[in-house]
Amino acid sequence: MAMKFPSDEWVAAFHNAINESPEYKEGGKPWTFGVTALVVNAQPDLGINEAYGMWLDLHEGVCRESHHCTAEEAQTAPFCIFGDYARWKQVIHKELEPVKGMMQGKLKLKGNLQIIVRNVKAAQALVTCATRVPTQFLDEP
Amino acid sequence: MTYDASLSFIYMNTTRVVFGPGCARDVKEEVRALGCARALVVTDSVLAKSTDIPSRIEKVLGDACAGIYSDVVPDSGVHLVDAGAAFARERGADCIVSVGGGSAIDTAKGIAIVLKEGGSLRDYEGFQVLKRPATPHVAIPTTAGTGSEVTYVAVIKDHEAHQKLLFGDYNIIPNTALLDPELTVGLPRGLTAATGMDAMSHAVESIHSQQNEPIADGLALHAIRLIREFLPRAVDDGKDLVARGQMLIASNMAGTAFSNAQVGLVHAIAHTIGARHGVHHGLANSILLPHVVRFNAGEIAGAYRPVAEALGFQVAGVSDEACAEAAARLLSELAARTGLPQTLSSQGVPESALPELAEATLADASIIYNGRAVLDADEVLGVLKAAF
Repeated sequence: MAMKFPSDEWVAAFHNAINESPEYKEGGKPWTFGVTALVVNAQPDLGINEAYGMWLDLHEGVCRESHHCTAEEAQTAPFCIFGDYARWKQVIHKELEPVKGMMQGKLKLKGNLQIIVRNVKAAQALVTCATRVPTQFLDEP
Repeated sequence: MTYDASLSFIYMNTTRVVFGPGCARDVKEEVRALGCARALVVTDSVLAKSTDIPSRIEKVLGDACAGIYSDVVPDSGVHLVDAGAAFARERGADCIVSVGGGSAIDTAKGIAIVLKEGGSLRDYEGFQVLKRPATPHVAIPTTAGTGSEVTYVAVIKDHEAHQKLLFGDYNIIPNTALLDPELTVGLPRGLTAATGMDAMSHAVESIHSQQNEPIADGLALHAIRLIREFLPRAVDDGKDLVARGQMLIASNMAGTAFSNAQVGLVHAIAHTIGARHGVHHGLANSILLPHVVRFNAGEIAGAYRPVAEALGFQVAGVSDEACAEAAARLLSELAARTGLPQTLSSQGVPESALPELAEATLADASIIYNGRAVLDADEVLGVLKAAF
């Protein structure tokens, strides 16, 4: 069954997809830099009345914990990436590479870009995990 | 140069550019045109001690000058930015005027952030995190190389953490750039050459970037033509105002090009070598550029056909690979013509350091856009050995 993006169910499914992914297990192994929070900016016309945060405690190729969080909590994470719904949809469809999106201002990064660049394989594996979550997009029937 | 149907890009060029001998004397009018009343002059300590340029800017600003902050050093630091912002606030500044090379302009970008938003520059580390424009900023470059007067990036060192921090945000692009050739006539021969080749590396790197696009390519190619013609003249006769002016324009065009298309492996390695071994950024770029062209040519030789042509090579009937090799050779010859060293070993980089440099280079953000994808430290090591 497809899960709405963003939603608590989608975050839980993403968590599982990460931990079932051989690509992330390998590519994410060097990641020891703490929580990465992803934030979908508010977009009331799609029913996203407040910014929707996803807290991902990633460590050495494993997602240890995840939960929905507020934008405020997300900003306490060492890495926080903000973006509009449409941009995240492009990321999930592999139409927007996250690091390039950050540099072009399509996504906003609070945190050290160099660390993300050094772990680009982990970032790519996370995107692959996201594509494996059966997703129902809010702007599609 | 070919573009396919999937071409998609964002082009930003928001800086008002004023060019002409003596145009820096209009700085007060430019500050007023931004709706500002009092400007803090940010400059580097060497320029302040060895020239009268900052005091001339102070003089023409007159009652619109809030003071001079001249503590900037090469590899400027977060602590200097925070102190500069505190000084600006204390003096009631509502505008920043930077005078100098890349360090002064980048420090000013940082001060512009903190003066507007408060806190410490560390609070804003990241990419595109600002929600509104930073404090208005008029940049007056005194070197022709960095292009920082039109770019959206500032590199500032955190001396406590021994880390170079990258701040990338469209909100920190300077509002105005005053390109005054008279201010670059005193630049020593070696610095003229190194900064000029820095501009050349910006132009070539933006062309071999994965994010190259027609507007940036056009700017970069003309920058290459200008540098090829005028850098030797500026080096031979520092008082040649035409050459100085054309080099400032070339640097500005190359800066706009790479601020949009990004840079690549040359800069990724040069940042790493600069941080660890103190090699001048422009000189490191100059040494590495031909070797990265040869490395990239293995996959994207076609990118160098227009580069070779802009460097004066007759490309008709010649293969892409031969064009790439000609471009690499002509870049080396131009650097040699200006008297710049050609090897990393001549700059005190020990051979034993190369493997560690190769590994560290993979963490530099510039590498993301290199035209030939680089994911393996051994590939970087090959370039380093060739440049050694």
